[in-house]
Amino acid sequence: MSASSPAQTPPPTESLPPARRRGRTIGTGVAIAIAVVLLIVGIGAGYVIGNSLKSSSSSSTTVLTETGSSLLYPLMKIWGPNYTAYNPSVTLSPVSSGSGAGQSNAELGLVNIGASDGYLKNASATSLINLPVAISAQLVYYNLPGVNGHLNLNGSVLAMMYGGAITTWENPLILAAQNATIQGELKALPTADQTITLIKRADSSGDTFLFTSLCYMSWSGFPYSASTSGLSGLTGSNVLPETGNSEMVTGVEGTPGGIAYIGISYAHTVTGASVNYAAVGDNLSNSASGGLSPANYVLPNPTTISQDANLGLARLNFATYQLAVSLILGGSWAGAINLTHGGGGSNPTVTSPTPYPLVNLEYTLIKTSAVSGSKTVTSSALHDTVLFLQWAIAYGNLPQYLNQVGFVPLTPTVAGYDAVELSSVSA
Amino acid sequence: MVLANASEARRSPEDILYQESLRTKWRLGFDRVIGWLLPLLFIVAILPIADLVYYVGSRALPTLTFQVLTSTSLTQTDALGVPIVSTAEIMVFATLLAVAFGIFGGVATAEYLSERMAGWVRMTANLLVGLPSVTLGYFGYFTFVLYFGWGLSYIAAVVTLAFFMTPYIFRTADLAFTSVPRPIREAAFGSGATGPQYIVRVATPIAFPQVLNGIFLAMAIGVGETAPIVLTTTLSTILPTSIYSPVSFLTALIWENFAQPKGSPLIDLAFQAAFLLIITVIALNIVVRLISYNFQKRIQGLYQ
Amino acid sequence: MVILDPPPAPASEGGREPIPPTSSDPPDGGLHRSRREWLRYLTKALALVPALIPTLFLIMIVVALFSLAGFGVTFSLSPFRFVVHPPYNFGFGFFGSKWNPSPAPGYPAQWGTLVFIVGSFLTAVPALFLSMAIGLGIAIASTVYLPRFVSAWLDPFVDLLAGIPSVVYGIWAFVVIAPIFGTLLNPWAAAHLAFIPGFGGPPGQATGVGLPITIFVLTLMSLPITTLLIRDALRSIPRDLWESGLALGATRWEVVRKISIRHGSRGILSAAFLGFGRAFGETVAVAMVLGVNAAYPINFYGSTGTIAATIFSLLDSAYGNSQFLAALSEMAIVLLAISLAVNIAGRRFISSIISYEVPGL
Repeated sequence: MSASSPAQTPPPTESLPPARRRGRTIGTGVAIAIAVVLLIVGIGAGYVIGNSLKSSSSSSTTVLTETGSSLLYPLMKIWGPNYTAYNPSVTLSPVSSGSGAGQSNAELGLVNIGASDGYLKNASATSLINLPVAISAQLVYYNLPGVNGHLNLNGSVLAMMYGGAITTWENPLILAAQNATIQGELKALPTADQTITLIKRADSSGDTFLFTSLCYMSWSGFPYSASTSGLSGLTGSNVLPETGNSEMVTGVEGTPGGIAYIGISYAHTVTGASVNYAAVGDNLSNSASGGLSPANYVLPNPTTISQDANLGLARLNFATYQLAVSLILGGSWAGAINLTHGGGGSNPTVTSPTPYPLVNLEYTLIKTSAVSGSKTVTSSALHDTVLFLQWAIAYGNLPQYLNQVGFVPLTPTVAGYDAVELSSVSA
Repeated sequence: MVLANASEARRSPEDILYQESLRTKWRLGFDRVIGWLLPLLFIVAILPIADLVYYVGSRALPTLTFQVLTSTSLTQTDALGVPIVSTAEIMVFATLLAVAFGIFGGVATAEYLSERMAGWVRMTANLLVGLPSVTLGYFGYFTFVLYFGWGLSYIAAVVTLAFFMTPYIFRTADLAFTSVPRPIREAAFGSGATGPQYIVRVATPIAFPQVLNGIFLAMAIGVGETAPIVLTTTLSTILPTSIYSPVSFLTALIWENFAQPKGSPLIDLAFQAAFLLIITVIALNIVVRLISYNFQKRIQGLYQ
Repeated sequence: MVILDPPPAPASEGGREPIPPTSSDPPDGGLHRSRREWLRYLTKALALVPALIPTLFLIMIVVALFSLAGFGVTFSLSPFRFVVHPPYNFGFGFFGSKWNPSPAPGYPAQWGTLVFIVGSFLTAVPALFLSMAIGLGIAIASTVYLPRFVSAWLDPFVDLLAGIPSVVYGIWAFVVIAPIFGTLLNPWAAAHLAFIPGFGGPPGQATGVGLPITIFVLTLMSLPITTLLIRDALRSIPRDLWESGLALGATRWEVVRKISIRHGSRGILSAAFLGFGRAFGETVAVAMVLGVNAAYPINFYGSTGTIAATIFSLLDSAYGNSQFLAALSEMAIVLLAISLAVNIAGRRFISSIISYEVPGL
């Protein structure tokens, strides 16, 4: 653009290109027009959908947020739309993030309901209450090609597997509990599948809490703690960490020779010819070296799960421990597990039918009063939360919901205690 | 004829020619061969993306009906109406915020700052662009969710995403306004324009396509972000009712559902969301290329 | 030429006659500055406010990472303490090699994050090498060997690799590619490549989770950056340098090898840095494909954890435990420090904006 130079007459106007010629390119104007049209279409569609949504529910819908246990998540997803059908002004938004996250978020007042498979100790310190809403169970799945039927595994064997004392499937301790056919099939496993691959939860998980509780109580040499991240020290080439129950399912489906602990609400999603779940034995009535009779190994079904729950709840001292109870092994440790041996109580006597050992209460954590400064746990939201939980305990525990996830309903005692706890919430 | 060393001087010319032509043949042959081999590396780069787009498309398209796209039902597993509208809402507000921050900042840097300060500010913007997304998610969690007390909410997600998108818009606004041709700028000031007059009347029409490009590209990048959203909000199944309510986002949907057991309809939902994301990104990229193609033509005209 | 009359004398402004300067007057007319100059200063100062927005954001991010006071973390645990109290190792065994937040009762929790730092490097460095090698090849092919109209079409495809969101990469890799690695490639490599140290041994999980798939995904994600930067470096070679090389009898490959690479070495170095920064900080795709495993892989097929993926996965559950939170935030500080360092180093050699079409660049 320098001033041009040699003295020339400026070119005649006609030979200059017309100011607005664009040639064959699409003008910026057209491109911008396309973008604007798309934007308008998008906003319009959103407006239409938003209107159709608002017309079906009042615009002052309260949203109750729930995060936490992936074991309780499928049931929450079933409860959500049903509760909205019952009470259209409230919608439940469940998210599966692991029990540890549920506890943390509830403590901070970031969500209305924190779901956890394990009770939260010292909940009152952060003005939370543990409120059981259902009774669930945990299954032990394994992937062994060529092995048909259910393996018999007891707590100490499981503890030794995860503790590293048992490393292959043809270990005598495992074989001793199986029938002859399965013993042969285990010995006949290909070498690559003989090594036990331990599939564990990498996130802070209530399922880990349940499983490690069983292991901890069953074998004194169990090197890990009974907590939501108790297996965080378990590492090695034969360890497969997964995040969430659903990843545990894909993990065990894809790993021959693997063993995993999965919540019963995911049992119907497990596919695979070589994937099956174990009959878990209660070995506290015998020494840790096994020696249980086949009748002591129990498959999970509503009868055996209820049996364990009833046994545990009947034995435990609600007055002292409120609802912070553990039902593992029929509640054989009285009251809350406090991570030291000698939690109290006596060993259970084996009853008939034998209870399935891996049973627990599903807890929801809610604040006892509105959190000042929090936009989520307001007193009206807390009021709606209480109403929802009352519905869940009364109607949500009906078979039509619980059968879809394999849970069993709360016993009347627990329901009664729940009602008392809920009445202490100021909302 | 190149003699490699003194001993070669003693060899016969035919030997030398033969050896040299051999070496030359090798060099030329190598050049030709590698001229065919290296472009094959394009396949290494393009094949995965082609497979990705093909797989996502083939998995998502059969079930992607209009009903699925607009359904807001709470019981239907693959109801995409709410995530799509929520994503659009979040993007619109985050873009508005980011545009406000970015354009003001970019124009101020381009026009008013000394070279030293401007270099420093540009360096900071470049650093922000290169940060891992978890750092911004973490920051959003601490600052907006916890410290400001907004909780896991719509507004926390919007503001965090705006923080994420601002550096991109800032850089392109800065670049656009500094690349207004100097003679035009000098002519404007020489004709007595003040700063704001120059910016609004002279520089903006010239820089506008580039800034628009930057906005679309920032949107394309922002719509694909997961960490800032997942860490600052919880997923909701309905449209947000207030700025503090939970909200839905397509990428967060994928993150929630990707590990479901095989055959679960939730994985198909995740692929549908992935497909929508890919289309959005490709569409925005196409629009950007159209605008910049036309912009090239235009900017050439300014130099004549 | 027309001779015009001299222009009329200008009307005086505001009644003030222009005062001719005398030698004793200071050159700027005294201490009074006109209103216009003040306005100019004011505008410049005001303009600093929006211009410093990115700097403000960066400072906010750093401050948020450092200050945990008020979130239930006392000062003795907050990361500031490492500045104040020696030894400067972030406290409680930060650089230890064992990560165990919930040990058996009676044992202290271990917060050794060396595992994750090593894991991040183990995944990012091979990905960097691979993406530099492929990117170099593609850039050379595109600038030297392919006709311009072909490369004009192919280059945007490589840039499109960058536009795909990382969750989409993650889910595609997890669902489609990881099983291929787990059932085909890993066992094949374990069987046939066992002579290379680290490639023997158990072929890893059949689901495919592990280092190979992670390196694959990270290579794909840093490929657009490296390709773009090397391409720009090679294109900025002056044409006469290129032509003089050819005129001296060199083949195109020789010109590239001996002249272009050397001339563009700064750009190539910055490509390495920025590509590494991208691979190091990648969060979501790695979290999906690798998960979180606080262990050193025993061979090439094992899985480990990276800093970014670990923070992303574990942040939600860290609040019950203030030590956990402090450990995570210290990991985040390390991640931030390395990202910033790599970015600064990478940008020293290139102009500030290369392309705004590749995110992360």
